Formats: sequence, C-alpha cells, structure tokens
Amino acid sequence: MWRKFLRRLYIIKILHSAVKFVLSVLVLSAFVFIISRLAPGDPLYAYYGERVEKMSVEEQEQARTRLGLDEPIPVQYVRWLQGAVRGDFGISYQYKADVKEVIAARIGNTLLLGGLGFLLIFALALLLGLFCAWREGQAADRMICRIGTVTSCIPEFWLSLLLLLVFAVWLGWLPGSGAYSVGEEGNAADRAAHLILPLAVVVLGHLWYYAFQVRNRLLEEVRADYVLLARMKGLSGKQVLYRHCLRGALPSYLCMMAVALPHILGGTYVVETVFSYPGIGTLAYESARYQDYNLLMVVSLLTGALVIFCNMLARTVSERIDPRMRMRTIADGGEVRDL
Amino acid sequence: MSYLRECLKSDILCMSVGDGEMDLLRVENLSVSFFRPEGEIEALKNVSFSLREGEILAVMGETGCGKSVLCKSILKLLPDIAQIKTGHICIRGEEITGCSEKQMRKLRGHFFSMVFQNPMTALNPCMSVGEQIAEAVRLRRPQLTGRERKKRAAELMELVGLNPPGERAKQYPFQLSGGMAQRCVIAIALAAEPAVLFADEATTALDVTVQAQILELFLELRKRMGMSIVLVTHNPGVAARTADRVALMRDGELFRIGDVEEIFEEIIYNQNLT
Repeated sequence: MWRKFLRRLYIIKILHSAVKFVLSVLVLSAFVFIISRLAPGDPLYAYYGERVEKMSVEEQEQARTRLGLDEPIPVQYVRWLQGAVRGDFGISYQYKADVKEVIAARIGNTLLLGGLGFLLIFALALLLGLFCAWREGQAADRMICRIGTVTSCIPEFWLSLLLLLVFAVWLGWLPGSGAYSVGEEGNAADRAAHLILPLAVVVLGHLWYYAFQVRNRLLEEVRADYVLLARMKGLSGKQVLYRHCLRGALPSYLCMMAVALPHILGGTYVVETVFSYPGIGTLAYESARYQDYNLLMVVSLLTGALVIFCNMLARTVSERIDPRMRMRTIADGGEVRDL
Repeated sequence: MSYLRECLKSDILCMSVGDGEMDLLRVENLSVSFFRPEGEIEALKNVSFSLREGEILAVMGETGCGKSVLCKSILKLLPDIAQIKTGHICIRGEEITGCSEKQMRKLRGHFFSMVFQNPMTALNPCMSVGEQIAEAVRLRRPQLTGRERKKRAAELMELVGLNPPGERAKQYPFQLSGGMAQRCVIAIALAAEPAVLFADEATTALDVTVQAQILELFLELRKRMGMSIVLVTHNPGVAARTADRVALMRDGELFRIGDVEEIFEEIIYNQNLT
C-alpha cells in the first residue's frame, strides 16, 4: 500500500517534469517566433533571392500572402503552432523543401561531430582537472595551466586554418573538407578521417575552460575542513581527492556540462564553415541571417529543448549525488517529510 | 565490546609495553614555524612533554597560543607553509620525526586519531554517516568483508551513543545535530583504534549539556579501550573535570605541566595574590 503510494508519487514527479518541459518549450517557441519576425530584413529574399528587386509591389504582396507572412504575428504564431502540433513545421524559404527534410539530412553529421566532441571534452576536462588539482602548484600543473590558457585563447577559425594547412595541405595525411569523400558515404574509416580535424578544433577550443573549472572547484573542496578528517583516517592526498572531493565537485560539474552540451553541439558552426562540414550549425546561422523563419524556429527549438532537457537531467543527477539538494527541493515544495 | 578489546590486543602498535618507563608519546624541544611572505612566524617554541599510557592530558591556553598546531604537527597534518624546525617526536621510544608521508599515513589511521573542533564541517556533506565510519574501519582493517565492516561501524556508533545505528548510518551530516555529528566524528576517530586520541577543542562548539555527555564518553572510552587522550581546550572546567595532568601554553611555549590538582591550586593561589 505504502509502496504503491510512493510509486504513484514517482509517476506524478515525472508527469510534473514533462508538463514543465512542454510549457518551457512553448514559451520559448513564442519568444523565438516574435523576435525573429521583429528583426529587420525581408524573408522574401530567402525565397526569391535577387529576383525580389525586380518584382512589383503587387507581386511581392501576393508572395507574402502565399507564404502566410501578411497576417499579424499572433495569428501567424497560432497557425504555426497548429501545424507544429500535427508535425508540419512548414517549408524552408531558402531550400524550398520541408524543414524536417533539410534538418534530417544534416543533423546526423552535427550529432556525430558535436556529440563526440562533447563526450571527449566531458571526459578529458574531468581527467585534466583532477590531474591539475592533484599536482596543484607543481611544475606539471603550472605548465598545463599555461598551455591551456593559450590554447583556449586561440580563435577557432585560426586554429582550424592552421590545422588544415599542416595536416591537409603540407602533410596531406587527412582530408580537409566535407563529411565523407564522394561515393564513400557508408565507409566508417573515411568518415572518421574526415572527422579528426574538426573534432580536434572543437575539443581544443572548449577543453581548457571546463578543465579549469573542474580544477578550481576541486581546489575549493580540497581546502574544506572535512579533508583533514579524511586524511586523519589515513587516506592519501590522491585518495581524498577521488573519494571525497570529487563527490562534492561533481554536481556543479554536471550542471555546467549539461548547459554546455547544447552550446558545444550548436556552437560548431565556425568549424563546420571552415571545414565545409555539412552540419546544423551553418544551417542555424544562415536561417537567422536570411530570415528563413520556419527553419530558424525548428533549429532554435531543437537547441532550446535540449537545453531545458539537459538542465532537468542535470538536476536529477545532482540530487542523486548530493543529498542536500534533494532535501532542499522537498522543503521548497512544502512537503513534510520526517528527516 | 570484547571484540574491540581483542582487536586492540592483537595489534603490535597498540600492545601495551607495560613497564611504565617508556612513555607512549614523547615530544622534545619541538619548534614549528610558518613561513609566510611577510616573514617567519614561530608557532611553537621548544615544546616538550610526554604522555603516559591511559592518561588524559589537558592542553590549555588562550586562543592562538599554538594548541592546535601542536596536535597537527605531531600528526604531520600541517599546511605546506609550516615546517618543523627542531625537535623530536617519539612514540614508545621510536622516533617518528623523519617519517615519510606513507609511514605517517599508516600511523594516522592506526596509532593516532583526532577529533576536530567543528563537527558540522569536519564530516563530508555528500557521504552518509555510516559510509564515512565504514571507510575508516576499512582503512584500519582492510581484511574485513563488507558485512563485517558494517557490523563494526554499527558497533562503534552504538559505543558513542548514535542510536539506533541502523537508521543513523543512512543519515547525512546535515541531518544531525551538533552533538550527534561530534559523536559521529568520534566514532570515526575510534575506528582507527588509536593509542592516542587528540581531541582538538572537541567540545567547544557544543552546548554545556552535550559537552558534559561527550566528556563522559571520553572518560568511558579511556576506561574501556585504555587509550590516552590529549584534550585541547581553553575551558578550565573541562580540564579540571576530565584530565589527569594539565599542560599550560602561552605564545607557542609550553611553560608548565603537572598534575591537575597541583596546577589548579597554583592558579588559584596566584589569583589570590593579585
């Protein structure tokens, strides 16, 4: 009976999160919709290109009516929402194709590049941060700190060009553009070879920022009082770091990485542009630039939904690691529970 | 608690020498300095004292006179900027001043143990109480299985009065009161089955009733486990109540050590003079 009640509580909690998620996405969509339409520029350029200038005013009006751009913004939004609920997100003005198709063709590439990059950054930043915190103030730590600061200051496009020059032009070891060679679409080795350089830039560009955060967070923990007690038990400095300090530092790291996931996934457009890598980053940039409303909506909603989802996930995971957060949310929610 | 006592007996370090001539812990001419950019700060100046088997020694003095530094320098838990300049630290006649970090680690978990001033910050906030005690047990007795370890932790919790141990073990430090948290820190210290327990202002952060309970606990533990306790305090009442001998410190110097009656009579006599 009691267990049944608890399980119901759990379902309610999931439902609660789901409702919150949908509401957040809805608010986000309204914001993006209105802001994109208030921004200066003419979406007709995206559809007709240079021909717009040769069109008469009547023709332009007709085109607007055909694309549904002549109505007030709230009406447009409601119409878009009605379509979106049915899974119809409209057509891309620029590509003149269904938005879903345009995105589907490219999202795999971005997920591969950004996702792999994120995983690498996640793991390496943690390891690097741990190593630096362990060797705090020693030669290795100072060296890594210096190199890290320099690499994180190098602009991505410059690093991309440099790597291209060295590895693709001079040495000729790796391909310099695209996601795969022509006709080799299913060849995993070919894809991997195309991925190495963009991936290196994505990882190098972000790695130190996060590693430095881990290092500082850990050093904060190392100075906490409980470390003395842990050392008193007979643990070595390294063991204290792994068993005690890491546990205190992990929740904030997870939260940071959860926010970083969409940032890294969506922030690949510089790399994608330089390496002519067909991904969603370039798409997002272009859709905003050319007033490709329907495409912009879906791309930003994808990123936004990812941000919201990751934040919720990070919170749940953090609560599991740090019991203080769990109890605090219970207290906030007004539920009374015997501690 | 016969199990605990047996554990104690079986261990070489804790085996009583018993002839009474060799002191359990002897500190000679210990000088410790902190090297700061502003210059050298002498925290301890030529401190000498000895601790006998099963004795409670109260170290008294005003705040900042070097009581905590004394404990931490014996345990080598000082920050990097502090250095032992001169002096010897011997346990059972064996010198440990030059011991490596690895050897010290062994000593910390086995021979020495320490209870800290503020129990609320001394415990890791992200680990349950049971887990933290069990970890200390594991370090002391790595041969125990998981279940034995838990049983041992429960025994220790019962010993220090954390009841019922099963429920308490699942709690986290922020769910405990100050007194309960201090009991938990003491349980961790006892898991090391130490020959010498340093109580660094262990009762300062607690109110008077809890303070009395914790001191009672110390006395009982000494009786049961036969360990020596170095009780650092600035409260004369605490010292008078529990200690066998008292050491007085001022400005990093240990200027007087003697039996508790002797010292307190002296203090009262001096006060009457002025």
